Amino acid sequence: MSRVSVPCHVKGTVALQVGDVRTSQGRPGVLVIDVTFPSVAPFELQEIMFKNYYTAFLTIRVRQHTSTHTPAKWVTCLRDYCLMPDPHSEEGAQEYVSLFKHQSPSMTFPKWLSHPVPCEQPTPLLEGLPDPSRVSSEVQQMWALTEMIRASHTSTRIGRFDVDGCYDLNLLSYT
Amino acid sequence: MLQEESDLSLIIAQIVQKLKGSNLYAQLERQAWASLQRPEIKLESLKEDIKEFFKISGWEKKLQNAVYSELSVFPLPSHPAAPPEHLKEPLVYMRKAQGSWEKRILKSLNSMCTELSIPLARKRPVGEQKELLNKWNEMGTDEPDLSLFRPVYAPKDFLEVLINLRNPNYESGDSLSFRTHLGLIQVPLKVKDIPELKEFFVELGLTTGQLGIDDSTQVPPELFENEHVRIGQKVLTQQDSAAAQQYIRQGSPTALRAELWALILNISSHPEDILYYEQLKTNVIQHDLLVDSLIYKDVKLTASNDDYYFVFEDYLYQVLLCFSRDTSVLSHFAYNSASPPKSYIRGKLGLEEYAVFYPPNGVIPFHGFSMYVAPLCFLYHEPSKLYQIFREMYVRFFFRLHSISSHPSGIVSLCLLFETLLQTYLPQLFYHLREIGAQPLRISFKWMVRAFSGYLATDQLLLLWDRILGYNSLEILAVLAAAVFAFRAVNLMEVTSLAAAEAVLADLSTLKVMPLLQIFLFATVT
Repeated sequence: MSRVSVPCHVKGTVALQVGDVRTSQGRPGVLVIDVTFPSVAPFELQEIMFKNYYTAFLTIRVRQHTSTHTPAKWVTCLRDYCLMPDPHSEEGAQEYVSLFKHQSPSMTFPKWLSHPVPCEQPTPLLEGLPDPSRVSSEVQQMWALTEMIRASHTSTRIGRFDVDGCYDLNLLSYT
Repeated sequence: MLQEESDLSLIIAQIVQKLKGSNLYAQLERQAWASLQRPEIKLESLKEDIKEFFKISGWEKKLQNAVYSELSVFPLPSHPAAPPEHLKEPLVYMRKAQGSWEKRILKSLNSMCTELSIPLARKRPVGEQKELLNKWNEMGTDEPDLSLFRPVYAPKDFLEVLINLRNPNYESGDSLSFRTHLGLIQVPLKVKDIPELKEFFVELGLTTGQLGIDDSTQVPPELFENEHVRIGQKVLTQQDSAAAQQYIRQGSPTALRAELWALILNISSHPEDILYYEQLKTNVIQHDLLVDSLIYKDVKLTASNDDYYFVFEDYLYQVLLCFSRDTSVLSHFAYNSASPPKSYIRGKLGLEEYAVFYPPNGVIPFHGFSMYVAPLCFLYHEPSKLYQIFREMYVRFFFRLHSISSHPSGIVSLCLLFETLLQTYLPQLFYHLREIGAQPLRISFKWMVRAFSGYLATDQLLLLWDRILGYNSLEILAVLAAAVFAFRAVNLMEVTSLAAAEAVLADLSTLKVMPLLQIFLFATVT
């Protein structure tokens, strides 16, 4: 089952604040990010992937068009999904996260998707993880692939640290 | 759930891929081929029969031990999109801090190189090679002029770097507020509190027998010690790594310790391993490294001056010089936040085909490094076995004590755990020490960086390291450090300066670690 990334447009974050006054003292705890899917036919969303940056809880809301006659309505797919078990410590603060279709009630995602999301841009969707029902054959394929990759690397297992017998060095380099 | 099953198959695939390149794989293959001769192996049920054969002959257990070893050492595979740096260290600001620290070390080594006009590496002339080979077993008798060499850094330099670590996303400000930490470490890492530590270290509880407490002369051995030794012997016969790791949480009998540690670390001395060590020895003979002088200096300054360890001076050179040449150590940088220093062959600056790591194992020793090896000399006398054990201990545990990372067993977390424990459970003492300018971490840091080697009596140190292996974590170092402060709290409350506080805590050689840990965790009124 191959998967394809869906082009999306991620708007800038908007802080939820009461009233018009912008204060620097009272930093808002909730930010909203709108994500739109321009010019795409309705598709079945499998996975949303992103890198977290200090967001503790995530809520995803979707605006669904059921038919051309009824007005679109907002549906909550995910509420207060915990990304950081302890928001005051570093756990989960900069982790890569994947959210799958089965974690929210199944639905087809329409053209317009709006959800509060951490500040980082969602990166494109990836090819699928190994299918658990075919583990052994998939492992075989992975072996073949890694053997190909490994063959193109110089082997360090033999323990050579020199280049053709020479280990006469300049200074250490700062990369 | 789909996600968990996918995770599991990913873990299995990674472990299989890792083991496929190992000696064990080759041996299993050979055994499988050889087993075809056996009458009980039938063609119709080939797969099942071979599996049964492996189970009976003990090869399945060896495979289990290898898998268990991989699970203990390598972090679980992270998200497929995560780049390799993320596996080394997930927090960007920590990676940056480690990078800057490494740059400082490289600059220091380079300036030593240029000032002393000594090359980083040179090929030894044949005469010198012969000479070194002859005195391989008594390198300690050598008295080279090391006065111009200085250690690249000492633990206190590293502590200053850790004190200045800041999370750019964390509002702490420079002025004291309810958000700043009272200790020296200012980064908000998650550390365990005492209830969580009690659960984690449950086998150290008051109702469980311990070596280090229940084997003292006043306690009749029938109550605990005899049975514990018997179980230990059984674990060794079974050759089960996981069982050994569980067993050793209650301490290891002295007679069984060497074998138990080897079982837990999954070290078995095959001819290939001895050959590998001999190859490393040849590398030492052929090439002289600047790092060798640093090692010599460190051994002379630390282990040679220690009453317990000076007898092992020659062993230390034999292990540490070979360690520097061992390129297999490079693989641990996949999960270490540090990176190996790079250099180029003279005259080929910038050409990637001539890029090399320096030293070959990527690890630059600091002041006190040889103390990681010294206690092991009490357990292992065969150089290649001693070497393998040390290397495995380094790539599993010791590297975390001198690199900047957010790992729960990393030195930053240990420092924060120590400070938090002290603040929470001995607030008066903590406040008092702070007031007199004696931040507790300034005293305990050196204990933790060295895993208490050189500070405790050897038998106590080995009991402590039993638990490091048993729990696969270094957190016990922070707990012990706090327990030591708790033990000497009365004296510490009376001091009025950092120097006086240091004096109270200068001599730990009379301490018994297990009672201290047990009291601090399980018997202190909170």
